[in-house]
Amino acid sequence: MRFVLKTRYNQDIDLFQHNGQRFWYVLLAVALLLVPLGFDSFYVGEMSLVFIYAIAGVGLMLLVGYTGQVSLGHAAFLAIGAYAHAWFLTQGLPWPVSLALASLLTAIVGAVVAIPALRMTGIYLAVATLAFSRIVEHVITHWGSVTGGYRGMAVPRAEVFSVSLMSASTFYYVCLAFLAASLVAALNLLRSPSGRAMIAVRDSEVSAQAMGIDLARTKTLAFFLSAGFTGLAGGLFAHKIGYLAPDAFTIVTSIQLLLMVVVGGLGSMHGVVFGAIFIGLLPQAVAFLRDASPPAIAEIPGLEPAIFGLILILFLVYEPLGIYGRWVKIRLYFQEFPLYRKATYKRQKSYLRTERVR
Amino acid sequence: MSLFEARDLTVSFGGIHAVRDLSFDVEEGEVFSIIGPNGAGKTTVFNLISRFYDVDAGTMTFGGEDITRLPVHRVAQRGIARTFQNTELFEHETVLKNLLIGRHVHRRTMLAEDLFFLPRVRRQDLAFREKVEDVIDLLDLQSYREQTINGLPYGVRKMVEVARALCIEPKLLLLDEPSSGLNPEETEDLSFWIEDISEDLGVTIIMVEHDMNLVTRMSDRVLAMADGLELAVGEPREIQEHPAVLRAYLGD
Repeated sequence: MRFVLKTRYNQDIDLFQHNGQRFWYVLLAVALLLVPLGFDSFYVGEMSLVFIYAIAGVGLMLLVGYTGQVSLGHAAFLAIGAYAHAWFLTQGLPWPVSLALASLLTAIVGAVVAIPALRMTGIYLAVATLAFSRIVEHVITHWGSVTGGYRGMAVPRAEVFSVSLMSASTFYYVCLAFLAASLVAALNLLRSPSGRAMIAVRDSEVSAQAMGIDLARTKTLAFFLSAGFTGLAGGLFAHKIGYLAPDAFTIVTSIQLLLMVVVGGLGSMHGVVFGAIFIGLLPQAVAFLRDASPPAIAEIPGLEPAIFGLILILFLVYEPLGIYGRWVKIRLYFQEFPLYRKATYKRQKSYLRTERVR
Repeated sequence: MSLFEARDLTVSFGGIHAVRDLSFDVEEGEVFSIIGPNGAGKTTVFNLISRFYDVDAGTMTFGGEDITRLPVHRVAQRGIARTFQNTELFEHETVLKNLLIGRHVHRRTMLAEDLFFLPRVRRQDLAFREKVEDVIDLLDLQSYREQTINGLPYGVRKMVEVARALCIEPKLLLLDEPSSGLNPEETEDLSFWIEDISEDLGVTIIMVEHDMNLVTRMSDRVLAMADGLELAVGEPREIQEHPAVLRAYLGD
């Protein structure tokens, strides 16, 4: 078992706590960079989708997992990011500028949504954000001159200095880079006063106030950043699906995003990535299982949502901290082998405040 | 001029007068206790000072500044820290993180700097940690530094809360029943720490407390309340023998 002796405060502040972590993350980075060379472009495309989900997940995790504000309306931010990016591109803006503007615009919409949301918590906030996403859906269907209404709109191709970003492997690297940047930004936030203020608001609003934290400001900031990351993901998502239509951003998308952070593990950035892999690859896994199983099973309709639901229920009952929580336990098992005690986590099945209805 | 002055504070919830025409002064460096039977309005006074409630009438000044209408999150900036009767800690974080949140009022960095974790943010965090470690040393919390709050015993949580309040570097510290739920030994330790905080750090303390032993030993002056009204103010000995106080606690 590893024991990290801390001799400087900086060790605690750094993103990597010890060289073992550095080694594994470098290895992971190398592996991810090599993926497009060794895999079929279909799988590379699926991986980019996972990265896009993860970027949106970073945003949602900041809001739900770290500030304790539930949102059932994140598909709306994804939609705003996607449509804004596509529209800016059709207006002839350069690709990076368009993406940045789309993300900023979504962030500002997020901050505006935060104003009424400041007065609500728990289930009421969930319903309010749900209403917001319905409103956005309606605006998209009826604002035909910009969004193309029900017909939808084609997303212009991604080009930087007339170099196309649309090939599977280039797009993969673009998404990977944005995901890495988003994760680093979120982790930076969480180790600095702004992020700690969010955590304080999540765990106790009264005592956050007593510590001099401005609730309204902190929650607005959380919505701003959360929407910003999700808007960025929306912009990339637009390229991924190529053609935008209102039915791509419904309540189902919102729920999927929320499931992603819950199944991944609330209150952890690892959880975001695990959750994104889960919701990104599960449909493929189910399709694969269908092919491999006898016709009696393979022909059952609606297999995918059923498995999805089943896994979710199992997680909520047995592992509220999600895939990340499970991973931590498995890791500890190997670290302490053969001395691991099953009771170590017996009393730790605690829920975040977000999950309780207040 | 006193450090804290309350004049004719009045607040009522519906038909209940929680606090009525309450006036008192707290001098700099003093340990000032508020006692009274349950429902006397002691915690309400704390909630008024920390601005969780708005007063219906009356004024409060702190260090010469009128804080009667100060926004709640500015109170800590002015140097008023508090603890809660039933601890209100950040449950899912370590003791260290809790104390770092206590340094929030001293932050000077903006959001954009935080996102990129510029060198200035790191320097600020190092300075925060030095201060936090001073407080940990003062209250002997070293062995709990890396533990999350939800696994800690109640007595330790109480001290972590005091520590978090001290991280604000307050001029005035409000302790809401610091000894409730502590065993006699922990209460004994608490009294030494209160003494240290008062004498070594020079922090003025207002404390709501039921343990008369602790009150008598620690306090310079005591305010006795019942039904939202002031019964008496004075030195602990006087208060203990004051006829109105005896009547409130024991009946006629």
